[in-house]
Amino acid sequence: MSKQFQFKSVSEMPMISVSLGDMEWNKTGAWRTQRPFYEDKTPPCSAACPAGNDIVAFIQKIAKGDFEGAWNIIKEENPFPGVCGRVCFHPCESKCNRGSFDEPIAIHALERFVAGFGSRLSKNTGKSGEKRKEKVAIIGSGPAGMSCAYHLARLHHDVTVFESLPLAGGMLRMGIPSYRLPREVLDRELSGIEALGVKIQTGVALGEDVRLEDLKNYRAIFISTGAHRSRGLQIPGEKEKGILGGLDLLKRMNLGKRMKLGDKIAIIGGGNTAIDVARSVIRLGKKATILYRRSREEMPAFAEEITEALEEGVKIRYLVNPIRLQQKDGLKRLECLRMELGEQDESGRRKPVPIPNSNLRIDVDHVIVAAGEEIEASFLPEGLEKKEGIVLTRRDASTGIKGVFAGGDLTSTQRTVAHAIGSGKKAAMAIDAFLEGKDTEEAIVQHLVGEGPSLSIFRYLHPGERPRNPHIVPFEELNMDYFELAKRQEESKRRVKERIRDFNEVTSTLTEDAVLEEAGRCFGCGTCNECENCYVFCPDVSILKSGGILSHQVDYDYCKGCGICFTECPRGAISLKEEAK
Amino acid sequence: MKRVITGNQAVAYGVILSRVDVISAYPITPQTTIVEELSELIASGRLKTKFLKVESEHSAMAALIGASTGGVRTFTATSSHGLAYMHEMLHWASGARLPIVLVNVNRALGAPWNIWGDQSDSLSQRDTGWIQLYCENNQEVLDTIVQAYLIAETVRLPVMVVLDAFVLSHTAEAVEIPSIEEVDSILPPFCPDYPIDTQEPRAYSVITTPDYFLEFRYKVQKAMEQVPEVAKKVDDEFKARFGRGYGAIERYGKEGAKVLLMTSGTVTSTSRTVIKKLVEKGLSVAGIKIKRFRPFPSEEICEAIQGAKKIAVIDRNLSAGVGGIFAQELRASLYSREERPPVFGFVSGLGGRDITPELIEEAIQYTMEHPQPEGDIVWLGLKR
Repeated sequence: MSKQFQFKSVSEMPMISVSLGDMEWNKTGAWRTQRPFYEDKTPPCSAACPAGNDIVAFIQKIAKGDFEGAWNIIKEENPFPGVCGRVCFHPCESKCNRGSFDEPIAIHALERFVAGFGSRLSKNTGKSGEKRKEKVAIIGSGPAGMSCAYHLARLHHDVTVFESLPLAGGMLRMGIPSYRLPREVLDRELSGIEALGVKIQTGVALGEDVRLEDLKNYRAIFISTGAHRSRGLQIPGEKEKGILGGLDLLKRMNLGKRMKLGDKIAIIGGGNTAIDVARSVIRLGKKATILYRRSREEMPAFAEEITEALEEGVKIRYLVNPIRLQQKDGLKRLECLRMELGEQDESGRRKPVPIPNSNLRIDVDHVIVAAGEEIEASFLPEGLEKKEGIVLTRRDASTGIKGVFAGGDLTSTQRTVAHAIGSGKKAAMAIDAFLEGKDTEEAIVQHLVGEGPSLSIFRYLHPGERPRNPHIVPFEELNMDYFELAKRQEESKRRVKERIRDFNEVTSTLTEDAVLEEAGRCFGCGTCNECENCYVFCPDVSILKSGGILSHQVDYDYCKGCGICFTECPRGAISLKEEAK
Repeated sequence: MKRVITGNQAVAYGVILSRVDVISAYPITPQTTIVEELSELIASGRLKTKFLKVESEHSAMAALIGASTGGVRTFTATSSHGLAYMHEMLHWASGARLPIVLVNVNRALGAPWNIWGDQSDSLSQRDTGWIQLYCENNQEVLDTIVQAYLIAETVRLPVMVVLDAFVLSHTAEAVEIPSIEEVDSILPPFCPDYPIDTQEPRAYSVITTPDYFLEFRYKVQKAMEQVPEVAKKVDDEFKARFGRGYGAIERYGKEGAKVLLMTSGTVTSTSRTVIKKLVEKGLSVAGIKIKRFRPFPSEEICEAIQGAKKIAVIDRNLSAGVGGIFAQELRASLYSREERPPVFGFVSGLGGRDITPELIEEAIQYTMEHPQPEGDIVWLGLKR
């Protein structure tokens, strides 16, 4: 406590009321009723990323010009940034808080840039140290299988991938045209996984060349054989010769097989496969017409893909449904009914209802059916439970057979690349825990991003680092006083005239300047970027720079709990709680 | 150097010549061009003064309180609602004994909305512990700013320099601008009493119990009581250096006049003409210009009114329920004297209405014709 002064007369007193010594004895922290503390929270982008990317963390690295740091963060969670930066439907951007302010961050474009930067780094990923004795088999080399292989290899497991086709990549190679995903990008990322010591055996099909019983010396098995059997239309004439499934056509083209196609091609369906087929056909110099039984609003294909298809001359006829297919002199005649939209169905979309006697005929050279894909169940081992067209798995990706896990399109109706990558990662964590004799479900639950289902393997590998409260930061918790409107950086596209002549990539990578600008737009929701606002605003000089895991700390000896730091933090990285009484 | 400049430009020159370190201000008509002038000079790099942008006058004064405590020379300018918004901080500045100089361009307060000249804003702040100096012309504005820093930094009280909206603020006249070296020769750099020193941290204006609060206020009053002497010394030195002095009050017109007219601000200029004319006609009238309102120059006034039988006061302000504030202050000053001539309290020109020579003559006429005023307020120019 300070010395007490007793002034006897006014002349002894100073001119103003000023302490004659310092006031450090006065621990004003004792007055506090609420306590601010630094606590990173979950940004909505990461929580929305099926692959579990730590998006804000890598964007903050980009913003500092540390592209290699960004690359390392992305590679912690995802071996396919070049793929995802191009073909992912980026649900992260739909959830981006910046969308409530001006436009969402172009996260996919940033990821794509970093992938390009990473590809130019020296390849010393090396084998991830000594492998363990136990071997793990993965069936299917698509994004789920390869993501699982990648993470298991990083966890020092001896992994072999079996692929029925002559080339690895699964749907990434067979289903996605190269104008969306150049093959060198895919090959580079696959070879990055192989470089960790993952063995890939192509031309080995499950149920034909190898059976589950043959894999006895593998301690765990991950089945990710996908869903690539074209679902039929169940209409008369469909089984006739010359009627192709959409995915089958793409597969042939991607395997480099030659095909004879007529000029006018009708594609039935409204999903991404239908669009991919139509745009591929256009590139072969044909006329493509998509027939879809609902309207554009209900199309499951990604909006941007639809726009690009229309730009390229694909015709889409909405609200028509084929009911019969006839062939005459090599020509195909589709008999269709016009539809109208009725009540909402279980998918939340309005259901198409046929208009009686509205029959119309469409004559084309070829009909491609792209009305969805389903799993091929015939070769699957017994003991795998199936329901409504998918293989059932538990929360830890395990199946009814001990040591057998499954993932990817085979086990889900959410059939996207990002979901497949996330599902492979989940299986890798579960398999590692299984082989370690740990609680596999617990291993998953402990490392959810936000409330899940996204997963962080970084946190599984590095417990306690980059801790985050699972609370997802909403727009209302950010302080918009510190942000200015700024235009989203868009990737440029080749001119339509040029791009329909070949299968080269349509979209180009952002420039370094544009990437820096775009990264600078990121709010960094819930993530301290050491902006120092708290330090500047604290009226009690109670923000200390610590240099630990958290760059700043509150000096609770003097913090009165006014909450100004909490209010002025632009990004919700400071929390405030009531002091225990 | 002589230049034709507006009152607001004269303020800016005064600030530049006084080597102010920190300015913080928020724009309001009719003060705005002061801040424009200064901020443009700062933005162009020609004036090495720190300008703190703020969101309100309250913050402007709060910022200057911080800056002045830090030991630098500070300035702000405002008007009307802006000054009212600063009110709480005005008390703080004087209580903390900070020699801040503020220019207030007199403007009426709403409602109803009005942007023109009226002294209600500055006079509403008479009890905040600030010295108040009213100016008659642009030359006086410039000179008073320099004098204000000298007085403020001697007695450690803040000073408000007041000028009329538009009649001075936006009207150009010839002003002699001294060189900065000349001003330097009489205005030394500011040296704080309790400087902020990180090696020796202190708490400023800390909570003070009833045991000592009275004593701190006593010290403020004592500082106010020093002002007449300090201000006179400053004015004398200024006059010796530049040939221009103003005094706390100025008496003009006929020696030993029976009727006196007391005015402040630009009304004085008009009154000078009127009184000159009436004296030439043989009337026994004289004028008193009040420059310093706080501390009120009771001594000086009582000396100047000796022999007068009646005093007319024209107030461009109104304390509703009482009357004109200058008249009220004058009555209070006279009460303890033996000689107490009747005070005719004219209220006129509110909200910027012109106080014309005719109105002033009417006031003098009225005073001469009536032995006593018909009430505490005599309305001048009221549309009846």
